[in-house]
Amino acid sequence: MLRHLRLMFCFAKFSLLGELAFRSNFLLKILVEMIWLGILLTFFKTIFGKSSSVAGWNEHEFLFFVGAYYALEGFVETFFLENCVEFSELVRSGNLDFCLLKPIDPQFFITLRRVDWSTAPKILLGFIMIGFAMFEIGKPLELWKIPVFLILFLCGCSLAYSFLLFLTALSVWMIRNQSLMEVWWLFTNLMRYPRQIYDSEWALPIRMVFGFIIPALLAVSIPVEFAVKEINIQFTAFLFVIAVVYFFISRIFFNYSLKHYRSASS
Amino acid sequence: MIVIKTNNLSKLFRVYEKPAGLIGSLKSLFNNKFKDIHAVENINLEVHEGEIVGFLGPNGAGKTTTLKMLSGLLFPTNGSATVLGYVPWERPIEFRKAFSLVMGQKSQLWWDLPAADSFELHKEIYAIEPSRFKKNVGELTEIFQVANLLNKPVRELSLGERMKLELIASLLHDPKLLLLDEPTIGLDVVAQSAMHRCLYEFNKTRKITILLTSHYMRDVETLCSRILVISGGNMVYDGQLQGLKDEFGKEKLIKVQFNNLVPDQVFDKFQPLEITGNIVRLRVAKNDVPNVLAVVSQCEDVLDISIEDPPVEEVIEKLFVSHRLKKM
Amino acid sequence: MKKYFNIARLSLKERLTYRGDFLLSSFLRFLPMITSILLWKSVYGSSEQESLSGFSFKQVIAYLLLVNISRMFSSMPGLATNLARDVREGSIKKYLLQPIDLIGYLMSYRVAHKAAYISTSLVPYMILFGSCASFFDTFPTPLGCVYFFMSLILAFVIGFYFEVCLGMLSFWILEVTSLLYVVTTLSFFLSGHLIPLDLLDTTGWLDVLKNLPFAYLAYFPAAIFLQKVSDEELLLRFFIGALWAFFFFLLSRVILYFGLRKYSAYGA
Repeated sequence: MLRHLRLMFCFAKFSLLGELAFRSNFLLKILVEMIWLGILLTFFKTIFGKSSSVAGWNEHEFLFFVGAYYALEGFVETFFLENCVEFSELVRSGNLDFCLLKPIDPQFFITLRRVDWSTAPKILLGFIMIGFAMFEIGKPLELWKIPVFLILFLCGCSLAYSFLLFLTALSVWMIRNQSLMEVWWLFTNLMRYPRQIYDSEWALPIRMVFGFIIPALLAVSIPVEFAVKEINIQFTAFLFVIAVVYFFISRIFFNYSLKHYRSASS
Repeated sequence: MIVIKTNNLSKLFRVYEKPAGLIGSLKSLFNNKFKDIHAVENINLEVHEGEIVGFLGPNGAGKTTTLKMLSGLLFPTNGSATVLGYVPWERPIEFRKAFSLVMGQKSQLWWDLPAADSFELHKEIYAIEPSRFKKNVGELTEIFQVANLLNKPVRELSLGERMKLELIASLLHDPKLLLLDEPTIGLDVVAQSAMHRCLYEFNKTRKITILLTSHYMRDVETLCSRILVISGGNMVYDGQLQGLKDEFGKEKLIKVQFNNLVPDQVFDKFQPLEITGNIVRLRVAKNDVPNVLAVVSQCEDVLDISIEDPPVEEVIEKLFVSHRLKKM
Repeated sequence: MKKYFNIARLSLKERLTYRGDFLLSSFLRFLPMITSILLWKSVYGSSEQESLSGFSFKQVIAYLLLVNISRMFSSMPGLATNLARDVREGSIKKYLLQPIDLIGYLMSYRVAHKAAYISTSLVPYMILFGSCASFFDTFPTPLGCVYFFMSLILAFVIGFYFEVCLGMLSFWILEVTSLLYVVTTLSFFLSGHLIPLDLLDTTGWLDVLKNLPFAYLAYFPAAIFLQKVSDEELLLRFFIGALWAFFFFLLSRVILYFGLRKYSAYGA
């Protein structure tokens, strides 16, 4: 455990050093993230300029949601996304072998090797937005709710990670996997707005599939609902359980894919 | 102590055909054709501690595949192997800590960072004790003479310099076995010799077992006590280099340099390979060498004589050809 | 003509070689549409207004579908980055030595590439628009269609020369790719790709936004199709658009001239 923490620290340190070696590039990347934030907030403000609530969420609750989403996206992008995208290149070039030779769990090494510091501020900014939203809402959050919210938030992150891992593992089976980013973007699309938006009749299949089977709709919605709206016990418990289950399933599939790589690579 | 032992190790690859043409591509959406390739067939070998073994063969012979199986990267289709007492493809952690694989032209160092940082990461990954790590880095840097390169970003270094650092990285955790896959490919002669020298040092001082694949004879000639020759997935020779020469090198190359033009006797008796000015080159059967010497010694104005083995590449080539013929 | 046919054929084949990718991306590209539709439905539902800034719910959705078509014409994937790379790596040299016009060559390649791309995307787009036909209340007049088509060509021209200018900045700036990233991000929003520019009327920047070159890359054709542009405005907008096109065309020529000169002065 300690060893893994030390390794994480090493990964983080060297990733930062690597990024700072290209300073202007790094700063421009951060600039882009800030522009995206500006776009996100403008979009949010525009919508709430036209309507006082969206799908039963008022402006402040919605801001909380936006902050939580932004932080989750930042979390995944900082720690995992770059590594997962690089995986298909590792498979293609055969450099995956080097990862497999190391006396470390391959999933740990492959998915955490690089830390993208340019997206790290998103996590902080997301939580700042959450703080601001809480301030606007007026009534403070009960103390016991804070750790539970954080756990649920991590469950959402874990769910996103498991999905990403599953996509990554698919690179072994497909020749070229440029669509990883596209499919990931689709997944984030489903996390991006409160799940109540999908309450239409004809959106039932979406609610079924993406609410229970690939629960992207729940990843951000449930933790935020827990914090500032009515607590839905069933969904909350479901999120927790499914996050744990999918973590193990995605790991099994990933290791299985590595095995396949090891019987097929030439 | 036996470090590597294999028993009928074999690997079969199934390769799917990618058809050309529009219709072909559409068809392949539903029905994929494939072909089986026998990359490695029934390899039986035994390597003892401290040996430096050369693994020779043309491209596509199965060297890299064999090496990958020995390092646990590939599952074999048949047969078994034990490396350092472990079954490689089970990849136990202790096994992974006990050996290193270096692949020529492929780098496992972080591209944008100085090698020193990669080494530190290596230390964490292999859980190398700090004092041991420091000692190793110091020693290895000294041997390879790369002290000034440690703090330059790896991408700024030449291939030769990078390979030296790769080799250092592979030795930091004191592996008992070093597997090298075409380590000198792309290197100039000076860098190649440097690598040979260092590998030789290691083997002497640290008793590391080295298995090295190459298609350059030079690597094998200078370093290896024993060579394995692989062709078309099969082992065609396993023994000493000299034995190879003896068995297949039944000829010698003689070069004679005269003061003036090459005298007629030489033409009459033997078929020269080539004549350039005052130098004549002959290829004769080993048994005929005394005859040639007898004739030449009777000539006047002999400046220089040399008797050489034909290049080992030729010997190996003969080996492959005879093996291919045997197969047919 | 045959050359272009072959390029199209190769392009299609390339897509089919990576068959998993092709099927997947064609289908998945349109899934976010559902999220957008539902989001805007909620917004309109909660606002209890029929029209926001002149757009009804159906029109917003129709707009978001139409900008896909605008983008089909104005997006130039790889143009600037490849150009920047060529300059950096020195393959630009051949334009100094051979009697080929760099920009002309890029243009003809793009046209062929676009033609191939549009033809291969025809079927997925038809399916998409077919299933979303209910969002289209009104259809433009024949004249409107002509204007629509003209605006698409304008989008192509502005998009092309704009990216060429950006790519050629690599004669002077090393990290053009990062700069491109910034511009692309800005363009995504400012072109009206995310949200109809009209809905930004509360920001006070609407007039400026509509006159920026970005607006012509996505917003303008969609607005014409939805008849959001009055006849008087139409003339003005086309005029400004043409000015932008001409501006970037000239700028690209100027940059190329000075860039090549700098290149030959310093060698590779």
